[in-house]
Amino acid sequence: METFTRAIAIVVELAILTAVFYSLFAGITFEVFDFGLNQKYHKFIKLVMMIMGCLMLVFLVAHLIAFYPRLPVNV
Amino acid sequence: MDSINQLFWAGQEVYIMMIFLPVIIGSLVLCAGVVALFTISFRWQHYRLWRLGKEEDCFHQTADRLKTLLAVIFANFRLGKEFYPGTMHLLIFWGTLLVFLGKITRLFSYPVGLTNPPQHVFLYASFVSEIGGVLVLIGGCLAVIRRYIIRPSRLETKPDNTLVFIWGAAIFITGYLIKGFRMAAVGVAVSPDWFSWAPVSYLVSRFILVLPAEPLNELLIWHRVLIHAIPALLLFAYVAVSRSPLQHLFLSPLNIFFRSLKPKGALDPIPNFEEAETFGVKEISEFTWKQLLDLEACTNCGRCQDVCPAHLSEKPLSPRRMTQNLKQHLWREGPNLLSLPPEQRQPEPIMGTSVGEDELWACTTCMACEEACPVYIEQIRRNIDIRRYQVLMETKFAPEVQLTLKNMENNSNPWGIGSHLRADWAKGLGIKTLAEDPHVEYLFYVGCSGSFDDRGKKVSAAFAKILKAAGVSFGILGTEEGCCGDSAMRIGNEYLYQNLAQANIEVMKGYNVKKIITTCPHGYNALKKDYPHFDGNFEVWHHTEIIAYLIAKGRIALKKPVEGLFTYHDSCFLGRYNEIYDQPRRILKAVPGLKLMEMERNRARSFCCGAGGARMWMEEAIGERINNMRTDQAIAAGADRIAVGCPFCLTMLADGIKDRKKEETMAALDIAEIVWKAMDLEEEKPVGDVCAAPSAS
Repeated sequence: METFTRAIAIVVELAILTAVFYSLFAGITFEVFDFGLNQKYHKFIKLVMMIMGCLMLVFLVAHLIAFYPRLPVNV
Repeated sequence: MDSINQLFWAGQEVYIMMIFLPVIIGSLVLCAGVVALFTISFRWQHYRLWRLGKEEDCFHQTADRLKTLLAVIFANFRLGKEFYPGTMHLLIFWGTLLVFLGKITRLFSYPVGLTNPPQHVFLYASFVSEIGGVLVLIGGCLAVIRRYIIRPSRLETKPDNTLVFIWGAAIFITGYLIKGFRMAAVGVAVSPDWFSWAPVSYLVSRFILVLPAEPLNELLIWHRVLIHAIPALLLFAYVAVSRSPLQHLFLSPLNIFFRSLKPKGALDPIPNFEEAETFGVKEISEFTWKQLLDLEACTNCGRCQDVCPAHLSEKPLSPRRMTQNLKQHLWREGPNLLSLPPEQRQPEPIMGTSVGEDELWACTTCMACEEACPVYIEQIRRNIDIRRYQVLMETKFAPEVQLTLKNMENNSNPWGIGSHLRADWAKGLGIKTLAEDPHVEYLFYVGCSGSFDDRGKKVSAAFAKILKAAGVSFGILGTEEGCCGDSAMRIGNEYLYQNLAQANIEVMKGYNVKKIITTCPHGYNALKKDYPHFDGNFEVWHHTEIIAYLIAKGRIALKKPVEGLFTYHDSCFLGRYNEIYDQPRRILKAVPGLKLMEMERNRARSFCCGAGGARMWMEEAIGERINNMRTDQAIAAGADRIAVGCPFCLTMLADGIKDRKKEETMAALDIAEIVWKAMDLEEEKPVGDVCAAPSAS
């Protein structure tokens, strides 16, 4: 895989992962309110999810950089 | 086939056994958990709320219910009426179904030993899943374009909708990526034949080309499989327990299955009227369980709103919004009510909190919303139930309605004209009453408009003359006839309606009446569908059905040309309520010289004239007048004559023509008047004069 294609692949994968985790966090947020949590906690829940999202992003970037398939040697 | 089959899996055994098998086993275990979660949630979130409602028997005629359910689910029967959203839904539905078919085949192929090495069935399952995924993604893109770019006013976008799009896209895309990774892991030597069985994933694999020899790849595939599988399972769990719009996956089929199989538009009378302590619906638990299911089944699609004449004329009613507000009311109030014993409950009233007064009374009961609803939600019955409480318990309704009801009570007609004048229209026509000759075949039930309204009287006379000319044996009740009570019923005054209906039934039974003809679709509907509740079982015909029959049998001849560009306005109570669309058109096509054209909204999509739901007797102070809008539609169609089969529509459209200052060039006519003119049996006034507005005639 060429360096350029590799960069694109990482970005695409990162976007997909962001979507997946956004979905999971948003799902949890809606869920807790469906279960009767007072709407006044909406801001707090949102903040918690945002912090978790940022942590997740840092982890994913680090993970992808560390483990993404290495460039083939001598190609 | 075998070589392709082997190739497809060559070198991938390790991935199957070490990666996918554990994931599949894990998924099966988690699926069981999701099913358990769904069962608990269904009972907690839905079933116990529905149990708050009153009893309603919706369990009979199971075969019919199942038939419609399957037609709606698999053919997207009612959704296809609109091309874009219909196509979009069809693609998403069938795509998802194909993906499930493919995945389930694959899932169960392991435990039963169908694959490993895989059999042909797997190749087909792979292909079906691939195509299904493409259909879903195309349908999803159409949905995103519609919701976020086209943005039709009827769509209300909430964060949940966006979530579903992102989540769904992520799952499908990661699905393709995993397969692509798996193929790429085999190496560059992947056989091009694989393209036939996994076209999308094959293309994805060409872009990835992960190094096969790297042990890290295996780890990455593991991760990617989990990134696909975990959100997919969590989406199932989310849909199972949340109040996501995706819950329509099971709520809509349930509502379709339990839909009303009663005659369209028939209203259930209040049972045990004399002994009942309260009438109608004041609070949420006074609806039936099926009406509560209706609320939850609403997908917020807005099809009802798009066809509602009240909404389109800027009244404060949107059937979609009303249903959604009531749904929120149920979710808010339901758990509170359930937490207390019945005697301690103090439920919040619906009116003033979730439904506004103007909103409730704006409904013309035209049934356009119900006709458009893909999940068979009953709006009209619910509105009438709320009106019943307002009228019978709170005496809250428009002042002009009070006078109408009083007139109906005292003189058995909404105008309050002395009931002894009911048969005056027939003077000089040689029509016998049933008192004079009870041995006639048909009772011509004239109704209030046909008896008292100046314009309606002309229609009655024209129709009676047609019957006489055709040699039909008929009679009228004369002064013994009473108001059919439809307006009282639609206002919500069930007490008055039942009195009027029972009085009519008693008279009709007294003369041993079997067959009835009406010129008014409101009377037609009441006599045909509502009177049987009081043991009034008659064979009821509308005059357009009879005229069409007489023409077809050659019993009346239409000789004289009736010039003009005609359009036919489908009355709601004749069309949508009773599906009489063809007979009036057949009659008009049989009239020489008459050119018939259709308005844009015709037949089941017809636009109300604004008089239904007893709106005939109410002021229309908010927004545009509905009758003027319908007149505009006729003008836009290029018509200079509007043919109708309903006295209310006739009055409303004649008023519309007057309001639009088109009296010189346009007219509204009842079909009986047109036919009588075409029969050319006596000197008639020109059409333009016949169809002037009531006040001018």
